[in-house]
Amino acid sequence: MTAKLSSLERSERRLGIALLAPAFALLAGVVLYPIFTLIRTSFSENKLTEPWLAKPWIGFENYAKAMGDERLWEATWHTLLYVIVTVPGAVALGLGLALLANQPFRVKWPVRLGLLLPWALPLVFAGLIFRWFFEYQQGLVNNALIWIGLSPVNWLTQEGPAFFAICVAIIWKTSSFAALVLLAGLQTIPKSLYEAAEVDGASKWQQFWEITLPMLKPAIIVALIFRTITAIQTFDIPKAMTDGGPGNATETLAMYIHKTTIDSLDFGYGSTLAVLMFIASAILTSIYLRHTRRDPSAGRH
Amino acid sequence: MKKRTFLSLSASLALGLAMSVSTASISVAQTTLRIFTGGQQRPDVMRKIADDYEKRTPGVKIEVEVGGATSEQQQQYLNTVLASKDSALDVILIDVIRPAQWAAAQWAEPLDAFLGADKDKIMARYLPAYREANIVGGKVIALPYFADAQFLYYRKDLLEKHGVQPPKTWAELQAGAEKVMKAEGNPNLSGFQTAGAPIEGTVCTYLVPMWGAGGSLTNAQGQLALNTPEARRPFQLWADMKAANVTPPNLAEIPTDRIRQNFQAGNLLFAMNWGYVWQRTQNDADSQIKDKVGVVPLPGFTADKAATCIGGWQLAVSAFSKNKKAAFDFAMYLSSPEVAKAQAIAASHLPVFPEVYTDPDVLKANPWFAQALPVVQTARARPVSPAYPRVSEVIRTNMNAFLAGSKTADAALADMTRDLSQVIR
Repeated sequence: MTAKLSSLERSERRLGIALLAPAFALLAGVVLYPIFTLIRTSFSENKLTEPWLAKPWIGFENYAKAMGDERLWEATWHTLLYVIVTVPGAVALGLGLALLANQPFRVKWPVRLGLLLPWALPLVFAGLIFRWFFEYQQGLVNNALIWIGLSPVNWLTQEGPAFFAICVAIIWKTSSFAALVLLAGLQTIPKSLYEAAEVDGASKWQQFWEITLPMLKPAIIVALIFRTITAIQTFDIPKAMTDGGPGNATETLAMYIHKTTIDSLDFGYGSTLAVLMFIASAILTSIYLRHTRRDPSAGRH
Repeated sequence: MKKRTFLSLSASLALGLAMSVSTASISVAQTTLRIFTGGQQRPDVMRKIADDYEKRTPGVKIEVEVGGATSEQQQQYLNTVLASKDSALDVILIDVIRPAQWAAAQWAEPLDAFLGADKDKIMARYLPAYREANIVGGKVIALPYFADAQFLYYRKDLLEKHGVQPPKTWAELQAGAEKVMKAEGNPNLSGFQTAGAPIEGTVCTYLVPMWGAGGSLTNAQGQLALNTPEARRPFQLWADMKAANVTPPNLAEIPTDRIRQNFQAGNLLFAMNWGYVWQRTQNDADSQIKDKVGVVPLPGFTADKAATCIGGWQLAVSAFSKNKKAAFDFAMYLSSPEVAKAQAIAASHLPVFPEVYTDPDVLKANPWFAQALPVVQTARARPVSPAYPRVSEVIRTNMNAFLAGSKTADAALADMTRDLSQVIR
């Protein structure tokens, strides 16, 4: 009897493995193998421009070089600045948009379409559009400045203004995703809570502060996490707007990796940079995840 | 009805197929060659030349593959194709800065065996700069296709109107530009532009004034020599021009072709640019300055000591081609005085043969070629290094930061020295 059951179990296990195998093989092929190759390449001198070097294994030399690489630290700092500015910026603007979209409009689709469009636009298009906005000679922004009697600004070729322009573009582009997540959260808040607050004489502001925000906390955290992960990888918008300029003043980590690997074709050092960025973003994400796992229970007390 | 049409169609198809097979077996076997060229190197003109070649060489079919717009983009693509030893490309158009890298990487088939005993005679026909650029370690790596150099384009009409002579020195250029800009009072008119965006052309924005001052990136021993007063001259020159408002405040966002567009729209007095600009200003439908353009050699700090960057495109036969002999024959045809003349007329491409510069048909299409020959003969090559992509990136990024005002001359020069010393030792 037991023998028969275990054979059934065995066959079920076999079936389970057989059903999992294709997915596992696919993941191994497109995730594990590239990561393994990346790590292996990061320990070699692999320059496609100089094939006669024959890709020697050089141990931790690339990592040692990275530690003393000023440009890497600058790019890390720029990336961090983008995270600090655009993550709260996009979530705050997204919250505003979500509250707006949650209003009982008679015709809801224009607002929702307006929310979806920036999200559906490819990042590099958004970058190009904002580059044209901020161009010195032909740009709309300078045109408006001249129109109200101010002098035009060199938006994209000065450090501060270039950083500002890029942040504006990123916040515009990414706030709609945050808004979508937050809108979904808003719609789960029961109407009865607001009705009860109304009866107790709470103002709109008190309702927002005491009901909406606490109830929305899980959704806000989800939006923050997703936004942070994409902010660490910021690439397309600054690439299209300034290509890292002036000099390297707006270059992010992902752009530095791209320049090293694709423009200069230094695969060895580029892989090292990519491994370092992977480690950094894994640490940051795990801090976030630990925080969120603890949080909902803390909220219930 | 439908079925019958289909039957007759397939019958005629079969017949046609049989006929073409029989004709093919009578004539020479068909060879298809694939040539790679860039979007800025006038692929349309290349196509016409290839059509002529197909007519005179039965059995050879030419496919023209068009790559990215800039030299860097093309090289990135070619690097990946050649690293995988792909045989799809037979003849490849490469920038004059590449032969050293291509020879070291063994991507280009050395042409000495095909050239045979006539090698020295054939190579002697080219302008010396191009002969030298294409022979690496005694081997012929590629054949010159067309020459290029940077010139000073100017608005003939505006200079005449205000009694300004075409400048021979940078000081004359600045004074002339200030005079014309003041008299014209047109806020859209910019005095002088050169490439300032972080692109390949900006390397020359640094090198040209440094060479003009008598400096060089490396000393006689091939070591980096940026601690000289000459290495500082370009920074001083561009800072002066900026302070005098001769260059626009947004110079750091201007790439090569934007200069041409501004010039062609009538918004620019002096332009430092390559040979292709002439033909565009004279023939483009939107050109506001047809018949109002003059071309002279670039100015120097003194009238007798000017410099310019050499450019131009070379034909390499891929080491992985399956039809190397046929590819070589086609490259030889493309690198002939006859094709050089056709290109000069159709695209204002500068010839690599001195005698083509004095050809009456060529001069009729490009009157300024008479002055171009001495420029091309004295133009200088950018540093030869297999790691050229990195050298270029360091120079253009720092120059861009300086022109934008985000780095001082001292900082830009110090960073340039630090980063270049890792590549050029």
